[in-house]
Amino acid sequence: MSENRYWKSVEERDSSLPRAGRSESEAPVALPIDRRGFLKASGFTVAGTLLVGCSRKPVEKAIPYLVQPEEIVPGRATWYASTCGGCAAGCGALVKCRDGRPIKLEGNRDHPFSQGGLCAVGQASLLGLYDSQRFSGPQLAGRQSGWDEVDQAVTGRIAEVTASKGRVRLLTDTVTSPTEQRLIDRFLRQFSDAKHVVYDPLSSSAILDAHQTTHGLRVLPRYRFGRADVIVSFGADFLGTWISPVEFTTDYRSGRNLDGDSPRLSFHAQLESRMSLTGSNADLRVILDPAEEGLALGRLAEKVAELAGTAYPGFAGTSSSVLEEATLDDLAERLWQARGRSLVVSASQSSRQQVLVNYLNQLLGAYGATIDLERPSMQRQGNDIALAELADELARGSVDLLLIQGVNPVYDLPLPGLAKAVEEAPFVVSFAASLDETAARADAICPEPHFLEAWGDCEAVAGVVSIAQPAIRPLRDTRSMMESLSVWLGEPKSALDLIQECWLEEILPRTSALSFRSFWDHTVRDGSALIAAEALEVSPFVISAVEPLGSVGQDEHFTLELYPTIGLLDGRHAHNPWLQELPDPVTKVTWDNYASLSPVAAADLGVGESDVVRLEVPGEQSFELPVYVQPGQHDRVVAVALGYGRLGTDRFHTAGPKWLQSKPTVDAGATVGVNAAPWTTLGKEGRGYRRSGVKVIPTGRTYDLASTQTYHFLSVPEKLAPTDGQDRPIIQEAVLEEYLEDRSAGAPHLHHFESDLWGEHEFDVHHWAMAIDLSACTGCAACVVSCQAENNVPVVGKDEVERRREMHWIRIDRYYRGDPTAPDTVHQPMMCHHCDNAPCETVCPVIATLHSSEGLNMQIYNRCVGTRYCANNCPYKVRRFNWFDYAHDDKLENLMLNPDVTVRDRGVMEKCSLCVQRIQEGKIVAISEGREVADGEIQTACQQSCPAQAIVFGDLVDPESRVSKIFGDPRHYVIFEELNVRPSVGYLRLVRNRPAITAGHVTEEQEDSHHG
Amino acid sequence: MARTAWPLREPLIAGDKTPAQVTIDISRPLEGRATPLWWAAFLVSLTTLFVGMVAVSYQIKTGIGTWGLNRTIGWSFDITNFVFWVGIGHAGTLISAILFLLRQRWRTSVNRAAEAMTLFAVMCAGIFPIIHMGRPWLAFWVLPYPNGRGPLWVNFRSPLLWDVFAISTYFIISAVFWYVGLIPDLATLRDRTKPGLRQRLFSFFSLGWNGALSVWNRYETVYLILAAALATPLVLSVHSIVSFDFATSVLPGWHTTIFPPYFVGGAIFSGMSMVLTLMIIARKTMRLEDYLTIRHIDTMTKLVLATSWMVAIAYATEFFVALYSGNELERFVFLNRAMGPMAWSYWIMVCCNVLVPQIFWFRRMRRALPVVFVATILINVGMWFERFVIITTSLHRDFLPSSWASYTPTLIELATLAGSFGLFFTCFLLFCRFLPMIAMAEIKGVLNAHLKPAHGLEVAEVEVEAETEPIAARSVVGGLEEVQT
Amino acid sequence: MSSRHFVSIFLDEDSTFGAVLELRKAGFKIREVYAPYAVHGLDRAAGLPRSRIGFITVAAAAIGSLAFYFFQDWVHAVDWPLNIGGKPYSSAPAWIPVVFETGVLFAGLATVLALFVRSGLYPGKKAKLIDPRITDDHFAVVLDILDSGFDTDQVLRICNRHGVGAVEEIEVPSKNVKRPTSDIATLEVWR
Repeated sequence: MSENRYWKSVEERDSSLPRAGRSESEAPVALPIDRRGFLKASGFTVAGTLLVGCSRKPVEKAIPYLVQPEEIVPGRATWYASTCGGCAAGCGALVKCRDGRPIKLEGNRDHPFSQGGLCAVGQASLLGLYDSQRFSGPQLAGRQSGWDEVDQAVTGRIAEVTASKGRVRLLTDTVTSPTEQRLIDRFLRQFSDAKHVVYDPLSSSAILDAHQTTHGLRVLPRYRFGRADVIVSFGADFLGTWISPVEFTTDYRSGRNLDGDSPRLSFHAQLESRMSLTGSNADLRVILDPAEEGLALGRLAEKVAELAGTAYPGFAGTSSSVLEEATLDDLAERLWQARGRSLVVSASQSSRQQVLVNYLNQLLGAYGATIDLERPSMQRQGNDIALAELADELARGSVDLLLIQGVNPVYDLPLPGLAKAVEEAPFVVSFAASLDETAARADAICPEPHFLEAWGDCEAVAGVVSIAQPAIRPLRDTRSMMESLSVWLGEPKSALDLIQECWLEEILPRTSALSFRSFWDHTVRDGSALIAAEALEVSPFVISAVEPLGSVGQDEHFTLELYPTIGLLDGRHAHNPWLQELPDPVTKVTWDNYASLSPVAAADLGVGESDVVRLEVPGEQSFELPVYVQPGQHDRVVAVALGYGRLGTDRFHTAGPKWLQSKPTVDAGATVGVNAAPWTTLGKEGRGYRRSGVKVIPTGRTYDLASTQTYHFLSVPEKLAPTDGQDRPIIQEAVLEEYLEDRSAGAPHLHHFESDLWGEHEFDVHHWAMAIDLSACTGCAACVVSCQAENNVPVVGKDEVERRREMHWIRIDRYYRGDPTAPDTVHQPMMCHHCDNAPCETVCPVIATLHSSEGLNMQIYNRCVGTRYCANNCPYKVRRFNWFDYAHDDKLENLMLNPDVTVRDRGVMEKCSLCVQRIQEGKIVAISEGREVADGEIQTACQQSCPAQAIVFGDLVDPESRVSKIFGDPRHYVIFEELNVRPSVGYLRLVRNRPAITAGHVTEEQEDSHHG
Repeated sequence: MARTAWPLREPLIAGDKTPAQVTIDISRPLEGRATPLWWAAFLVSLTTLFVGMVAVSYQIKTGIGTWGLNRTIGWSFDITNFVFWVGIGHAGTLISAILFLLRQRWRTSVNRAAEAMTLFAVMCAGIFPIIHMGRPWLAFWVLPYPNGRGPLWVNFRSPLLWDVFAISTYFIISAVFWYVGLIPDLATLRDRTKPGLRQRLFSFFSLGWNGALSVWNRYETVYLILAAALATPLVLSVHSIVSFDFATSVLPGWHTTIFPPYFVGGAIFSGMSMVLTLMIIARKTMRLEDYLTIRHIDTMTKLVLATSWMVAIAYATEFFVALYSGNELERFVFLNRAMGPMAWSYWIMVCCNVLVPQIFWFRRMRRALPVVFVATILINVGMWFERFVIITTSLHRDFLPSSWASYTPTLIELATLAGSFGLFFTCFLLFCRFLPMIAMAEIKGVLNAHLKPAHGLEVAEVEVEAETEPIAARSVVGGLEEVQT
Repeated sequence: MSSRHFVSIFLDEDSTFGAVLELRKAGFKIREVYAPYAVHGLDRAAGLPRSRIGFITVAAAAIGSLAFYFFQDWVHAVDWPLNIGGKPYSSAPAWIPVVFETGVLFAGLATVLALFVRSGLYPGKKAKLIDPRITDDHFAVVLDILDSGFDTDQVLRICNRHGVGAVEEIEVPSKNVKRPTSDIATLEVWR
């Protein structure tokens, strides 16, 4: 054998060597190299080393753990129970960490009220952790600084103020952390004139005030939708954005459960003036003139009182013009019949209306049944009256030390003077984590860590305490407020110490636990604990407080409804690209807010989609917004979303690909959307989100909205409808009555396939499948963001969305059905159907997509050449194509990519994989434990976080699995069965709780009134 | 002269040419300098080609996103252009093969150019399936070559793969067919050009052709086989297979059994029109009026009229089937085509493909060159839109209304389309300049065809003659004697 | 050894046709005819048999088709069976288009190749021409003088009757043909 030839392995070099056994193959062998060969080799090595040395490429250090933490196994995820800090609701969250990096947030099944659900905002708040624009450290007078300097400045100021007995005000949003509250009290105690002002940008203050009047207790009761058989909601978007959506959705769902032999479907009526997510799920939706909300409430109260046999205090309001008596009578009847099992809620910010609501609930015996006052909610504690006072003080410039945490008053309060006032205030301390409108005007900024970086605690509902534990070393030089306060109090302690101290003294006594250690450890492990709630003394219902309400005078102008969106809420997440690109569950518009008008109103004004209109209130700043035509909205209402127009959102100028004809997501220096907060009101009545007398004036200009769905009806445009009119059997629905008689009610008559042209492929080991219950799904879009986080789905920017190229693997189709001015709405999650006879697979020329032996439709990215034929041939249009090289250049954000999922290259097709990485993980775990995969053990990302548990995933081979049972359920159907593509994803028919006449398939005159 | 004294038919070639004259006439464009008109045309096409190349390179560098496609409409301009060019490519083989079979001897004037046109059109067509890929640099993955990926072959169930085979076979066979037909003419040129590079090239490619009858004998057989046995079924198969791209899918508006004949008909229709357009240009610019006579134009317009009815019937059938099938989705697609947001494209198609050709019912129209010229161009516009309608309108509103989308082409796409025309005309103009665009050897064969009895007859009698008395044969010879004396 | 050929040049199709017919009737063996274009029936008249290239075409077509039928089946059913769109591994109907195309491809190439081989045509071959005008408009009928029963006078008579352009007697010492020197001038003398 030749002497100077290179060889890859000892075996290759000398075939006589035994191939078996490592030890043998590693046996030392004489190198077959002569002197010349050796010189050659060494010469090359030296030269090579020199060359490498010369190159000036940056040195990428990969440093292994010096001391391997035993809980971190490379390639294996570690989970921490924590509490979501996305909003004040305080849902339980599980943090999935890979190699010490949080890469996914999921709901915590063991959490008392969120029960495993986690909303879109919660899911997306993970991205906030890796936000490259967070403060890297404390700031003093607008420049980078150190903690010592800042502390000196603050403590110095504190000294002055205490000396001069000056005014100290701490402005925060709802504080649910006992420890924080404790620190705040202690901190403020040292001043002679100190006040802690709490306000919620999305205020429910009126409810608390109303209970102050009726129950002598300023408290936000905990609504138990699950216990209610009849729910009447006046504009409360409790499934979407109101107070604690995940909790409410989970609870609501438990009251609407068709599984098993005794189906239960609560009746839900929504009386609202704009189309909210909750309204879109209601069994009965009444479009209410906002001016007559009080009136309607009063009339309902009167009727219920009648039924209750008590006298309705005061006179009966004049008959409402919009609401027929019949509807009201029906509602009253239903409420009364279900007394003790019925609930009335209202999002109104008028405490007089809220008093009426309390009165109704009192009559219906809701208190103690569907309304919990023993364990009230702490999720909204804002007091707008106090806020108004503070505003005056600030205006007068009489606040000597102002500390602001968790809120952005300059942005979200309707006080033009505030910005100046804050600037001029002697000393303002902000705890903002990144630059916002208020922090920009603060003297000192003490940035708080992201909730995934720090210890925290929370009592969102009385008696439900939960822990937030750090899942990663702080990425920035930050300090939570309680730590700062403790420093300024002169007794610096770490958050952990402070919390444990507080828990030892305040929480432990409320438990039966023997040792603090064990209680603490259990709570940290589980994330939460149920403890006794402080007893509240509720005074008997003050009937005298009830006063009747008439109709507010309505002029010919519009009423402006300001509402939060699922994604952006009050705007605190406006810097989160996932949420910006998350289609609104109802309008499906991304990246902008807009003026929603009813079809009639739009027609009257002669404007259409994306025409720009100017909203004017005499003597106030006017706004220009593009129009969105929203069926089901009141004709005299214009609805605008809050939370947009945040400072610094022009960072998304660079979002999405750049090319010849691309348009930026937002112009440089501009903001995403328009800030409508200046039009909220703040006065004696507290904060208001409604303005009457608004003029809507067409400007003649247009502005394109980026929507992920541009055709909204289930039936094709009327003029194109074949003779019999076409209502595609995509959504199958029935009403409760029908369903109770016949479980397969609502099924259209379609061809069924007895035999096939060819034999089927057998799936003998596993056959993964998914079922989605349309009766449960509320369309809250938690699954969309969950999937985005799990599968490294890129953000593509407004222009690409406008070109219909969004990349979400799971989308939620929202269809209207029936009368276009007041349609039924339905939400349908849509992802790859993993058809057994997949049309996409047959047409791929290079076998880049094919079927696995477990019934999965697999996409092989590195084989795909991108003909897009598969996408064309997909009946469900769920395939997504990488039109460009989508940006993954934010190094910090990349830390959050899921290492189990490939980041896709330009020019390849991608789509839902049913979270194949999770399936594999589940199988590996099962194998390593020498057992079969248990049903429900493997959960897809979308399924895991669904607050309504609408999604079931499992193995069809196992006849006992839930999904197998559901596939056998008469309510189960697949879309376009007649195509015989045999989808592995099916749906459970939508069942509405309403009389048979109005429901089911579209009636004739509804069909006629369709427009495309 | 006696010969013209009793013409049996209108002569195929005007101007009473002798074979020598034919040689001179047809070689003229190759030997003289190029006309200014030619230069103008050439520069224009070259520029367009360049524009197209820039567009394509930009698209490949930046991504397919530079096209107006989206998640609902995965194909539009790209495959429309592909099918359009393949269609154009059909007339060439049709004229040379099928007309040859049908003994349509007027074909001899046009078949050479038509075949060249086929080649160039197929080249243009072939570009699109490659550049429409998300990762064109991996296009070779559609070829079944041995590899280390399993080995992972290709999916022979995919119509796209059938296309790969159909188009490449079609291109190769057409090229061979064209070249074989070219050999005798190359020999002619070889023997009349003065020594030099061109002469050497001619003699290299004319394979030492010396007109020996023994070779002519085989040559004729081979030509017949290529035409009859291979090219004819091939030309029918190729567009059928192209139509399978759509016919075998599940998409309403694509999933249609009448597509193969419908596409073939359409292809011939558009191809014929394109030949006509080119012929009308060529006979002017190349001064070949005697060879591309009004009679040729007339005959071809008749074919165009016939094929226009084929497509018209196809359109009607589609609607009928949609209606009759009772399939809601199917019905909707067709109503949507005619009345939906993209109805304009549908009506352009109908006007150009069904209404415009009807003027060819009138002899005067058939023989009025400007009319024919404009009409044929309109027809090709219409045929482009036919493919656009089929592909785009079917996609833009399919199964789930939630996914309905619309489509507008980007500058890049428009430039690419233009570029493909640039390529086509550049190639064609070069061909006119450097190769005989009319088959001399075949023209010479039919110079006085109109003076002769039908061929089949003659051949038959000669065969008889082989063993017994050649009565008929003698009479032929005798007849000639009379003419000569 | 060298052979001697009698070459008669004709100026048009018909006279060539006539001459060939009569020469053969008179029992002369036509060695070769050179023509600028294919004269239908002339080959039969000169006693050339039908070409049998067609068989090659059929064979090649069969080979191409069968090869690719089995290749496709092997790829999908044997080499690596994959579940694609729930179709059976060996889905014969889907193989048909490729089978057809490859059949045609093989057949076409084989046929043309056969033509070139049988006729000894290849790129760059030096043409052996009886007369440079053959590829333009002249015809040439070649007879073998050394043939038994070759009669110059009778041949001349026949050729003359059919208006021969020129006749020529050429030596073919080895394979390559000497270019004839005759032109129209000498023809006049001949008449």
